Amino acid sequence: MAFLTPLFLAAIAALGVPVLLHMIQRQRTEVIEFPSLMFVKRIPFHSLRRQRIRHWLLLLLRCAALLLLIAAFARPFFQSTTLAAVAGGAREVVVLLDRSYSMAYGDRWDRARAAARGVVRDLSPADQATVILFDSGAVAGRRSTTDQASLLAAIDGSAIGAGTTRFGPPLQLAQGILEDSDQPLLEVVLISDFQQVGVDSAANVRFPAGTVVTPVQVASEEATPNISVVGASVQRDMFASRERATVTARLANRGNETVEGLRVALELNAYELESLPVTIEANSAATVTFAPFTVEDTAMPVSVRASVDALPHDDVFHFTVLPGDVVSVLVIGGPGTPSTPVAPLDPEPSDTSEPSAQSPETDIPLPDTMPPATPAAETVAVTRPMTPSDTTDTSLYLRRALGVGTSPLFSPIVRPVGEVTLDDIAVATVIVLNDVGLPSGAIGEAITRFVEDGGGLWVALGEDVRWPGDKVDLLPGTMDIPADRDGRGGVLGFVDYSHPIFEVFGSPRSGDLTTPRFFRHRPLALHPESAVLARFDNGDPAMAERTVGAGRVLVWTTTIDSFWNDFALKSIYLPFVHKVIEYLAEYRSPTPYLTAGQVLDLAQYPAAAGLDLTGGNLVVRDPSDDRVDVRLGTEETEAAFVDLAEQGFYELRDTEAAQGELVMVAVNVDLAESNLSSADPQELVGLVTGRAAGDRSVATEREIRPEELERRQTLWWYLLIGALGFLATETVMSNRLSRTEIDPDA
Amino acid sequence: MTTSPPSSPGARFIDPKVLARVGSLELAARFVVEGFINGLHKAPYLGISIDFAEHRGYMPGDDIRRVDWRLFARTDRFYVKQFEADTNTNFSVLFDVSKSMNFGSRGITKLDYGRFLAACLSYLSTKQRDRVGIITFDSDIVERVPPSAKHFEVSLHTLDRMTASRPGALGPPLYKATEFFKRRSILAVISDFYEEPEAVLDAVKPLRFAGNDVILFHILDPAEVDFPYDDSSSFQDLETGRKVPVVPDKLRDQYREIVQEHIDAVSQLCSQNRIDYAFMNTRVPLDHALFKYLAMRHKLTKVR
Repeated sequence: MAFLTPLFLAAIAALGVPVLLHMIQRQRTEVIEFPSLMFVKRIPFHSLRRQRIRHWLLLLLRCAALLLLIAAFARPFFQSTTLAAVAGGAREVVVLLDRSYSMAYGDRWDRARAAARGVVRDLSPADQATVILFDSGAVAGRRSTTDQASLLAAIDGSAIGAGTTRFGPPLQLAQGILEDSDQPLLEVVLISDFQQVGVDSAANVRFPAGTVVTPVQVASEEATPNISVVGASVQRDMFASRERATVTARLANRGNETVEGLRVALELNAYELESLPVTIEANSAATVTFAPFTVEDTAMPVSVRASVDALPHDDVFHFTVLPGDVVSVLVIGGPGTPSTPVAPLDPEPSDTSEPSAQSPETDIPLPDTMPPATPAAETVAVTRPMTPSDTTDTSLYLRRALGVGTSPLFSPIVRPVGEVTLDDIAVATVIVLNDVGLPSGAIGEAITRFVEDGGGLWVALGEDVRWPGDKVDLLPGTMDIPADRDGRGGVLGFVDYSHPIFEVFGSPRSGDLTTPRFFRHRPLALHPESAVLARFDNGDPAMAERTVGAGRVLVWTTTIDSFWNDFALKSIYLPFVHKVIEYLAEYRSPTPYLTAGQVLDLAQYPAAAGLDLTGGNLVVRDPSDDRVDVRLGTEETEAAFVDLAEQGFYELRDTEAAQGELVMVAVNVDLAESNLSSADPQELVGLVTGRAAGDRSVATEREIRPEELERRQTLWWYLLIGALGFLATETVMSNRLSRTEIDPDA
Repeated sequence: MTTSPPSSPGARFIDPKVLARVGSLELAARFVVEGFINGLHKAPYLGISIDFAEHRGYMPGDDIRRVDWRLFARTDRFYVKQFEADTNTNFSVLFDVSKSMNFGSRGITKLDYGRFLAACLSYLSTKQRDRVGIITFDSDIVERVPPSAKHFEVSLHTLDRMTASRPGALGPPLYKATEFFKRRSILAVISDFYEEPEAVLDAVKPLRFAGNDVILFHILDPAEVDFPYDDSSSFQDLETGRKVPVVPDKLRDQYREIVQEHIDAVSQLCSQNRIDYAFMNTRVPLDHALFKYLAMRHKLTKVR
């Protein structure tokens, strides 16, 4: 027995009060005269002074009430050893059963469940136990129950999941159960294959002192050969006006022996398209490329499946191939611009007049038609801005840059300003006005509407740009006549790296935007609502943005090609152009697959953009063809979440929609789990207990914090009730006694 | 309160409280003594005898008036008559009027009880033609009436107006009183004797050694003997004024023992020194007490 606030015990001195009262109340105030106290004084002093206490029962009642009151305030509690004696040494056992997919390797799962059953059967009737199943998350069945049948049922009903091993969540859950437990002995049995990947998450867990942790390792010491399909990439191209996809799968062999003739199959809609033999060296990776297939108009569920080995979960890789991952760009150039559309990834230049540039990222020689820098031009220091002639292709570098890229696939259509049709505008996602002003007439109106309806417009200001006065609201500002920069030209002095276009260049070694030299630009007097994304070192805007209606307009105040600058000759030019077009097209890359354990946010999932999330008619079926609940948000927030627990394809369908659009979501296991290397169980045990595993010597030394013990026992409450009972009895009794004394005949 | 102890059938005893209501001391004394004498008229012991004791041969120097001439006539020899005692002896009361005597728990104080006792004894002595006197004392002699055949009234008057107002002590006043008794006297010392037995004896011994016949009347109130108090109270010493908190229940038995030991010790010491001792409880009727005392004295006389 101990006390939480022992200082209150000092009030025990107050017990003298009732005793004193009992004595004082007998002391008459009147003085009795006596002839001589000669004989009285001979009697020893202590007995002389001692007052007689009457009503012993009353005194005891009062003292007991006071004592209980003081004890209640002192907050007594039983120490753990006392509790242990009372409870007869009952245990609180938490069984942690790993059900991550790596447990499917060999007979690990069967051994793990057998071990768990053994623990449950060994429980005494007084023991309480909880079974926690965990992979990346943790689920507890009935907590702290003595019902062995329900515990066994929980173990028998468990199945391997698709998640990875994370020891943190189950250990934290166990910690909570142990801390809430009143049992004197705490024990944790951790049954797992102890993969290294899950250990780090347990760093912040610390079990109550005295907890005995017994790890049960179900992984064998032998080598664990394992083949896994670690990923797949899709190359798209156009063939006969149809989009084709070529799948390349990557496989890894984590065994110490070379695997030969492994069959790897490409499945489309669960039908095998092609099967190829693969040889993978020991502890190495290999790729296999399948024959291209035509992409259909709907999402195609594609799987790459290797022959089943000891761990089947990582032998298959699912993903979806979506059509239409193409951004159509209409480039309107000067009169000399070739008018034929350029097929993307066309290895042959469509125009022989173009330079034989292989890639914009490589050094591109200046076009022949461009006059070289004239040293004699004395008004210009080093190099001079060039003026494109009528025959110059002002969109050469732009076209080349757009010709590179698979995700998305850019489809540029280059038109001279006089040849643009309304159909061109209708199919375009982004329009680039390359060194031309806004066309007049119906085309100009169509472009304006295009922007206002959500299209993206990129205006590159060159020598020939003339903007109609009634359309100046489209631009972020009013342009001025060209301004030259002296010496070696200007550079970009300010770049808004927080903007989506420049975000990728923000981190170190991600492209140096200060290397391009700008010799001429057109100053821009900005409108207040415009935003400047980049400025030259003299402060003039280099790139400005304005939102018009639902669309965006970007103005690049110098040329896109290399007439007024050498930006197009720099390696950073290609990603810059891609980012500008993607930004204007509001392009979001499709998600080919997700990982088991993730939560799918349909509002943020591009492929599910057509689904009505608020209608309540959404039906989701998991790979096992079972219906899955969708957690819907409110009408205002319009959110829907799906827990992705299984590996395979989830199907989402709006049953009320006329077309019954089907959304496929591919879910793969986390391949970190396929690394079967084990950690030392002792390391994990030491992490959560600070002691060696299975150390039972501390089992009886469990120390719960006194506050916690006292809170659980709440003995003060009973003491208070007892004190009140005594006081009530005392009141009744003292009233009767005083009545009797006042009227002795009563 | 009953006034009839069963040990004295036929005797009519008077409650001291009734006696206290009698205004005159003489009347009260007569009331007690005559009733007492009448009641015991046939009894063979009637006071101190003055009868003839024996003859002895005449010795030169003897008073010739004591020669028995009738015997000389018959025998022709001189004989002197000797008597048992002198008939006209002195009787004095030494009355303790210390403040402790002013205590009474039953309507009569020890002072009053002693007052009646002294009056009775004086009346009895007067009836025997003795000379009576009285000395009152506390820590010193307060008043003194020398023994005389005519001093009965004065003695009663002294008894009547004496008050107990000062602390007392036995030794000094009694020592001083020794000087007053040149002739052998009967001295009745009436007190509550709140002193150690040895001190009491030391105080009365000089009187005894001077040839006086000393009788100690030890008067105590029933409350002093029985200590009948219940509630814890503060007890105040009447003489010193000192207060002591006392739990009577706790010390009653011890107190009774101590008091009884005190009485026994005084009684024994008196017996050893041939001093008469009579314990008087004011609860007991005065005539009954007198009767008891005189009976005892008569026995002693016979023994002697």
